[in-house]
Amino acid sequence: MIFLTVGTLFPFDRLVRAVDDAVKSGLVKEPVFAQIGRTSFAPKNIEYVKVLEKHTFDNKVADADYLISHAGIGSIAIALERNKPLLVMPRMKCFKEHVNDHQVATARKFEQLGHVLAAYSVEELPDKIKELSTFRPKPRASQADSVARRIAQFLNELSASARQ
Amino acid sequence: MIQLLKLSKCWEGHEVFYVSTLESVAQKLQKLGRFYIIGECNREHFVQALHVLKNCIRIILREKPDVIISTGAAPPCLLCIAGKVFGAKIVWLDSIANVERLSLSGRIIRPFADFILTQWPEVAERYRSVCYAGFVI
Repeated sequence: MIFLTVGTLFPFDRLVRAVDDAVKSGLVKEPVFAQIGRTSFAPKNIEYVKVLEKHTFDNKVADADYLISHAGIGSIAIALERNKPLLVMPRMKCFKEHVNDHQVATARKFEQLGHVLAAYSVEELPDKIKELSTFRPKPRASQADSVARRIAQFLNELSASARQ
Repeated sequence: MIQLLKLSKCWEGHEVFYVSTLESVAQKLQKLGRFYIIGECNREHFVQALHVLKNCIRIILREKPDVIISTGAAPPCLLCIAGKVFGAKIVWLDSIANVERLSLSGRIIRPFADFILTQWPEVAERYRSVCYAGFVI
């Protein structure tokens, strides 16, 4: 199963429509389930909902063989955490898909590091979808403990100076 | 939220409450403790932002936090500003989504933040007072 998720903040008709077309044309043979958020386009060839509750969302990710999503950090994070092959397409400001183009830079960075596949346009999408089945994402070891320690240290300094 | 919850060790032993933008994470937050939903907004919806700001001020007045820890974006930025006015210290971990420079909310909060971190070393190099201590994702 392929899980397609585009966040819930802005519409992303381009990606949802492209994946729907890919199913219609037979490029994608496995079933697709989508969380389309505020996307106005109603897919005809894939099962979809507007918004999933977090727990259900996590289960969908766990059940999926591959993920396709916008280049939102929540989606990238969950794919890396579960070691799922992910293809991202960044939202673009010119299509009113986000307030700026930061997703392009995010996609490029995580693509360069070997963590995700990225398509930067609808035209690039079919080839990248074909690549998904053989793509093995490079694992990324979180340094959350080191960041948490650094912040804890700051909090301790604060309480120490408050006591003085 | 994914990024923030990875830091939960740093507030162990402190009294804590949570603030999120979305109802869809309410169930998950409920398990962690006291939580509030402030709603979603961005730079393009001024009226909605005012509504979020009103929620933020209400929470700040009720909880009177000593410290606010946030990973952004716009709605938590409003919470931080409201908190700062009422004496809270601000810890800002800029989202890893911002690979070239600080997020807009990060840049807005920078003059008010008491401790500000990015998750990319090359972003830290661009700003004085922005620290890099690794990445959470």
